[in-house]
Amino acid sequence: MSNAVQTNWAAQVHGAAKIYGSGENEVRALDHVTVGFEKGAFTAIMGPSGSGKSTLMQCAAGLDRLTAGTAFIGDVDITKLGEKALTLLRRDKVGFIFQQFNLLPTLTAQENITFPLDLAGRKPDADWMAHVVGTVGLADRLNHKPSELSGGQQQRVAVARALVEQPEIIFADEPTGNLDSTSSAEILSFMENAVREFGQTVVMVTHDPVAASHASRVLFLADGRIVDELMAPTRDSILDRMRNLGD
Amino acid sequence: MFSYALKSLRANLTRLIATALAVILGIGFLASGLMLTDAMRSGLTGDVEEQYKNVDFAIIATAGSDQSGGMDFQLTVPASALATARSTPGVEAAAGEIQADARVLRADGTTVNLRSQGRSWIADSELNPLSLDEGSAPKGSAQVVLDRKLATEAGVSVGDTVSVQTPAGTKQFKVSGISSFGRQDALDDGGTISFSEETAVQVLNAGTPGFSDVLLRTSGDPATVQAALEEALPTSVAIQTGEQFVSDAAESASAFISILRPVLQGFAYLSMFVAAFVIFNTFSVVVTQRFRELALIRAVGGTPAQVRRSLIFEGMAIGVIASALGIVAGAVLAIGLQTLLRQFDMEIPGAGVKVSTYTVVLCMIIGVLVTTLSVIVPAFRAGRTKPVEAMRASAIDNSGSSPVRAVFGAIFLLGSVALLLANRFVGVQWFYLTFGALFLFIGLFIGGPLLARVFAILVRPVMGLFGMTGRLAADNAVRNPKRTATTANALVIGLFLVTLVTVSGEAMKTALVDQLSSASSPDFIISSEGAIDPKLVASINKTEGVTNIAAVKSSVAVESTGQSTFVAAASLDQLTKSAGLKVTAGSAEAVASGSGIAIPDFSNFGGGALSSPGSVASAGLGDSVSLRTVGGQDLILPVVAVYEGSLESFVGNVMNPETFKTVVGDKPVTRVFVRAEPGQADAVGQRLEKVLQGYTGVEVQPGNFIGQIVGSIFDFLIAAVNALLAMSVIVALVGIVNTMTLSIFERRRELGMVRALGMTRQQVGRMVRFEAVLIGLLGTLVGMGAGILLSWVVISSIADGAIDLSFNWARVGLIFLVGILVGVVASILPARRATRLNMLDAMSEA
Repeated sequence: MSNAVQTNWAAQVHGAAKIYGSGENEVRALDHVTVGFEKGAFTAIMGPSGSGKSTLMQCAAGLDRLTAGTAFIGDVDITKLGEKALTLLRRDKVGFIFQQFNLLPTLTAQENITFPLDLAGRKPDADWMAHVVGTVGLADRLNHKPSELSGGQQQRVAVARALVEQPEIIFADEPTGNLDSTSSAEILSFMENAVREFGQTVVMVTHDPVAASHASRVLFLADGRIVDELMAPTRDSILDRMRNLGD
Repeated sequence: MFSYALKSLRANLTRLIATALAVILGIGFLASGLMLTDAMRSGLTGDVEEQYKNVDFAIIATAGSDQSGGMDFQLTVPASALATARSTPGVEAAAGEIQADARVLRADGTTVNLRSQGRSWIADSELNPLSLDEGSAPKGSAQVVLDRKLATEAGVSVGDTVSVQTPAGTKQFKVSGISSFGRQDALDDGGTISFSEETAVQVLNAGTPGFSDVLLRTSGDPATVQAALEEALPTSVAIQTGEQFVSDAAESASAFISILRPVLQGFAYLSMFVAAFVIFNTFSVVVTQRFRELALIRAVGGTPAQVRRSLIFEGMAIGVIASALGIVAGAVLAIGLQTLLRQFDMEIPGAGVKVSTYTVVLCMIIGVLVTTLSVIVPAFRAGRTKPVEAMRASAIDNSGSSPVRAVFGAIFLLGSVALLLANRFVGVQWFYLTFGALFLFIGLFIGGPLLARVFAILVRPVMGLFGMTGRLAADNAVRNPKRTATTANALVIGLFLVTLVTVSGEAMKTALVDQLSSASSPDFIISSEGAIDPKLVASINKTEGVTNIAAVKSSVAVESTGQSTFVAAASLDQLTKSAGLKVTAGSAEAVASGSGIAIPDFSNFGGGALSSPGSVASAGLGDSVSLRTVGGQDLILPVVAVYEGSLESFVGNVMNPETFKTVVGDKPVTRVFVRAEPGQADAVGQRLEKVLQGYTGVEVQPGNFIGQIVGSIFDFLIAAVNALLAMSVIVALVGIVNTMTLSIFERRRELGMVRALGMTRQQVGRMVRFEAVLIGLLGTLVGMGAGILLSWVVISSIADGAIDLSFNWARVGLIFLVGILVGVVASILPARRATRLNMLDAMSEA
């Protein structure tokens, strides 16, 4: 497998399988998928409900374990890591943006942003912090609690949290799923900028063609397999491919 | 809706087990107390009824109308009364009872049973509670009857010779027979040794004729016999019918149960009160969790009343089941307690547990009532659920954090502190104290959420030192200030009372012991419940290192006013030399010559309380008092001396032996005060112990023993009350476990998220543990704070500033540690649950 460990991949899975149940009840959520996520790239994963797109993301991000195959973050084989080592790896190398319940309600925006760093007992780089906060436009909202922020502002805090620790890779699971179109566009452009300006790697699971069109590469999943791939996608080209998949 | 209530009970079973546990514990404590005391009472009174079943009348000694003297002096029926009764027509049989400590010794000098009793053998077989199994009744001065228990323990049979130790010394006796009591082997716990009547007077009563009571068996018309007896007998004795005598005896045998029972019940009710908090809290959270489900019921057409009824029914069902389980738990606890005490060689009367209908009905009513009342408020809140809330994403209980409530809470708390401080500094007023304490309680309950929030603000920076987990724990602890406050309040109640009892008890103990030890006292006091033999008095006087002794005969006399008073025959001169007593007015010689009596001056003990016009207590030098003699005449005695002394050397009104005999008749010496050579006290004490060997019921004590006894009584009471209060602390612990478990359930999505973001299981566990400890800390600080404040104010108002609140910091620290420990123990289960949470499942739940 040593040839698989190439430095231009931020994360990759080889022969990844996730199987629930057995015998007649067997469900193959992931059916031997091999895919890599290039460093500094913005990859979107699309597919109908039950296609395995969330499972792929969760296994690649170290949130869930594969039934078979291997998964790498950077050059670390995460399938060989124990519970604690995997948690620490997520803390230090992976950023997350979820659809909802992204923030801790008792902490301020600022405290939420530095949460993973605080867990590790590290101090954020002040200049970088200021830069990230400025980019997502939260400078005047840092002392607010999540309940005092709009949905869009809450997701911006989540984006800032993912960016501030400069992780190896950011996984975003339907980050715009609960937002109106204006807020969605904002969040997507922040992620796009992060890739373009800071060389950040982002992997996003979405079912929204508009959201996916912000990515540089779109993977299409169906029945636990990668069935198609599209580079430099547009909204129309994505819709076109989706029609072909019979969705 | 009832079937819905039952189904939801089953679905939420684990969650409701904790609720039930609070009821089970509370009812268990209540039931075990009732069952134990019932068993004890029937054990004790049953024996008394058996013992006196054939008694038609009894002659008892009286000390006039007023017997509230306090100290328990044994009154005796004079021997002449027995003779008079025997010659009264209609009396078939009469027997005087004499009872004192007596022990059978083995060949090596060891005692067979330390609690055995000596009694006079009653010749009449119907009056005698004991029946002869083998051999014959004791005759003359060298025979005894042992009961089956003692004979078995000592391994002796009829015809053997045994050594028996009595108040008159050790002597050899021949065992003439073996007795038993009904179907039992023994009448007295430790066995009975029976002597012939004349011998009993000699060995159990130091030769002084007199009985604790006289039992009569009569024939013919009871009224006629009673009238004849009343006619013949002196006024210093009274006639009781058999039933009256048995019921008095049964009452005094089980008197301590009448005190023990309400005390135990009081503490059980307290833990039920605490349990009410736990139940209320659990149900509030359960309702919050089921918000959407309840809203759905409303949306599909359930009326508010139906929702309400189903929840109240759910509460009642838990009440019924848990109360029933509580009664079973109570029985187990009671049996366990008996077994435990037996391990420490403390036999409590009455074997097993007695489950009376009263106990079962009371426990069921209390359990169901408390549970039902505790769920009413949550049920009404559930009834107010709006159908539209079924569609909302989250349900967070924000009630109780209103600013109005906080303001009222603060007003009550500040008001109570102001009133209590006014009581301390402006002047003691019961108005200040009562309303101060009342406002304190109201303030703690209304202001609980406010206190919780202030607490969080204060601890947050400190907890921040433990990193992110500490800070989150501080925040989480007051996410729902009302729930946290209710949880902590359960602990507040228990620890408040523990602190109050400990701190004020310690302060009172210190003050009292200091006061008692301040007066000068004898070096040793030798005393006996029965009598001290004249030979023994002589040996004490001859003991090496003893410089002075004062032998005292004591009794209760009746004044012409009907009031009873203590009288003693002793030499004031000897009392001065051996007991440190001071004659402050008049002369000792005048008392010794018989021209009058000496009365004690109680002013340094605040003794005015005993006085009534014309009585000894209010007399002074030069006054006269009038005492009723055994002969039935009034004897006027001038007060010719006044003395002061310590409480230990209090002997009452001192007179010379001749006057004493005229007033109360012949009595044995019951106390000897001893003065030792300076610096030799320890050696003399050991020698006296040796001199007393062989005499039962005679004890030597250090001269200031009352201070020591009072000190140890206080220690015992403080410890016992705290042990009972521990029940409520345990219930509070269950409450914290409950609240934490439910909070974690509510926050599971959030916990999943932080795990995804890189919080390790260890950090999650630490966070939850911190939170539980913080709730424990909140309850501890508030409870102890309120307890210390109130103790300080109460103590200073009782003693009018005379008692300083001397803190026993070790004890206060111990209470604090207990509070923290409750938090730590309570966190174990919830922390385990939180760390085992499946991250993805938790996050994906809608």
